[in-house]
Amino acid sequence: MELNPDFKDQYKVEATVINTDSGYQESLDQALAAGGKDAPDLYCAEAAFVLKYTKGDAASYAAPYKDLGIDVNKEIADAEIANYAVEIGSNESGDVVGLGYQATGGCFIYRRSIAKDAFGTDDPAEISKVIGGGTQSWDKFFEAAETLKGKGYGIVSGDGDIWHAVENSSDQGWVVDGKLTIDPKREAFLDLSKQLKDNGYHNDTQDWTDAWYADMAGTGDKGIFGFFGPAWLINYVMAGNSGGTKPGEGTYGDWAVCDPPVGFFWGGTWLLANKDGANKEAVGKFIDWVTLDASDTGLQYMWANGTLNGEGGTKDAVASAAVMAKSDGTLDFLGGQNMFDYFVPANEYANGKNLTQYDQTINDQWRDQVRQYTAGNKSREDAIKDFKSAITDNLDVTAD
Amino acid sequence: MAKQPKGISYAKYGYLFSIPFVVAYLIFSLYPTIYTAVLGFTDCKGLGNKNWHILEHPFDNFKMVLSNDSFITSLKNTIAIWLMNFFPQIIIALLLTAWFTSHTNEIKGKGIFKVIFYMPNIITAATVAILFTALFGYPVGPVNDILVSTGIKDSAFYFLVDRKAARGIVAFIQFWMWYGNTMIVLISGVLGISPDIYEAADIDGANGIQTFFKITIPNLKTVLLYTLITSLVGGLNMYDIPKVFLNGGPDKATLTTSVFIYNQAFSGSYLYNRAAAASMIMFLIIAVCSAILFYIMRDKDEEKLNKEIKRAKKNAQKAARGQSWR
Repeated sequence: MELNPDFKDQYKVEATVINTDSGYQESLDQALAAGGKDAPDLYCAEAAFVLKYTKGDAASYAAPYKDLGIDVNKEIADAEIANYAVEIGSNESGDVVGLGYQATGGCFIYRRSIAKDAFGTDDPAEISKVIGGGTQSWDKFFEAAETLKGKGYGIVSGDGDIWHAVENSSDQGWVVDGKLTIDPKREAFLDLSKQLKDNGYHNDTQDWTDAWYADMAGTGDKGIFGFFGPAWLINYVMAGNSGGTKPGEGTYGDWAVCDPPVGFFWGGTWLLANKDGANKEAVGKFIDWVTLDASDTGLQYMWANGTLNGEGGTKDAVASAAVMAKSDGTLDFLGGQNMFDYFVPANEYANGKNLTQYDQTINDQWRDQVRQYTAGNKSREDAIKDFKSAITDNLDVTAD
Repeated sequence: MAKQPKGISYAKYGYLFSIPFVVAYLIFSLYPTIYTAVLGFTDCKGLGNKNWHILEHPFDNFKMVLSNDSFITSLKNTIAIWLMNFFPQIIIALLLTAWFTSHTNEIKGKGIFKVIFYMPNIITAATVAILFTALFGYPVGPVNDILVSTGIKDSAFYFLVDRKAARGIVAFIQFWMWYGNTMIVLISGVLGISPDIYEAADIDGANGIQTFFKITIPNLKTVLLYTLITSLVGGLNMYDIPKVFLNGGPDKATLTTSVFIYNQAFSGSYLYNRAAAASMIMFLIIAVCSAILFYIMRDKDEEKLNKEIKRAKKNAQKAARGQSWR
């Protein structure tokens, strides 16, 4: 607004604040389906359900960026937007209808002190090698887990930590041509999870619970080596739960990022425009500024350098690699490491082709059955069988 | 005959004041209900689908729902969870009612206790769900800490992955949230009983237990029926806690029919027709159960009395007719 003062006179911004928990999608769907002047011009969708709005049941409401007066292909190339984000943001006919401002390619975020104790170094390049960074295989990772176990540490907090990496490394999505498909790499999560649990490689926590946060502060059962996540996990989750606010307090400053064994992305928000909106030009300008503007006055430059609300704000990985290349991503939390060194390549490894609009529901059911299996409540076969029936009972998909 | 003085007809105000409710009911309750009933017979699925038709075999959706394993599981869960919370709830509520309304020994600070017992009912479901998720946290959480430190368990127990434990916790939450409410309703019912009866019983030397079972319970019948039916309807529609606490998990253990219906319509596939069919099936089940309860709990004495009055009237008429013939 301040950068584009003329905007204020031309348009009135009306925002309806809706609780994003469970009511968001229903309210948005209603508003889009009803149309008319109360329908939103601009809406956001999170990674967990964005496919519904770009390629799925609600795709017909989204306007291609090119219809908003954006020279989309050129700008994507100039700003060096990661492939996965473009793949997800494109509709079935290949037009880009949504892009984000944040990059959510994931890295392995580990404790420097534990790395020194177990492997004799905390250098990210060395630790990448130790855990098999970029090898597309979990073998080295589990070798490292065994070493860490010998020193009394766990490699991750819970099986949820490796799930996002496993999920995104698969070749196929959950649903292919209306049929439930369990990609071998996702099926292998059953065994990876069991291996973690049976060998005591983790604290057996579940993500987003108190025990998980406790491991970020290093106050869990045993010391936890690391977490898988994008930059937002560092800034918005780990920093607040590290038990400190400056180096020396809690685990603050004791972290570093390195390559994950398999590339992945986790989360993110895509911006979409209503094709029936009346203010296409204004919406286009806004979207351009947020998602594609790689200049020093674009949102992303300020976001990456933490200057959006004045100096010293939170720095985040942004969609444009061109912006990150000229930005300063050093964080005290990471002991002075420039996080962009690893997050820029991380975005290139991420895969945007194996998502479906059902992912949120199906992932929940899958993780539920995997937990039943690893807890010893049922056999591997039963877990898969019950998973299939739970999905076909609930969704309009078939299974073998 | 003298003309009756023109009084004010209060009846029209009654109609006037009930208009807002009736209008709101027609628009927000009756119309959606009928719409849902119709949807159950159609092929309406998918977001924003306005082009739907009645199916060739109208009962296909109903057949599909009834043969859906998840629906059967959810129906069993719903009934199990309702029974598991209703019986403790009504027993505790009756016990507290007996104490709070006792004429022989007055309890100090009744008001405060009533407020405290009612309190859980005021907290929103989402808050309660978060509270219990935190309480039963694993591997570290208050309940596990207590169990391990007191030596009841050797290691932390993963409550929220265990089907029985999860179901038990949901039933407990329902009980804990609603027993205060039930207690208040029952207390007001007891206060409505004429004190004369208690006085008479007192004079006749009835003790507390006799008074409770011979006077309080029989006179509470209508209030108990009300409690039973509202609890039944609420219990079979149980949605918020199972949804926000564990989202029907683990392994469908807390999947209730309402969560099932929600999932059909909103968890990715927009199967509005199947969701509507499932809703109508629940509607029928609840209506039939309520009717049965009404029948069982009907006032048998009054019915007998009515019958006798009828018979007496008939006899009297017969007698009267017989007389006139003679």
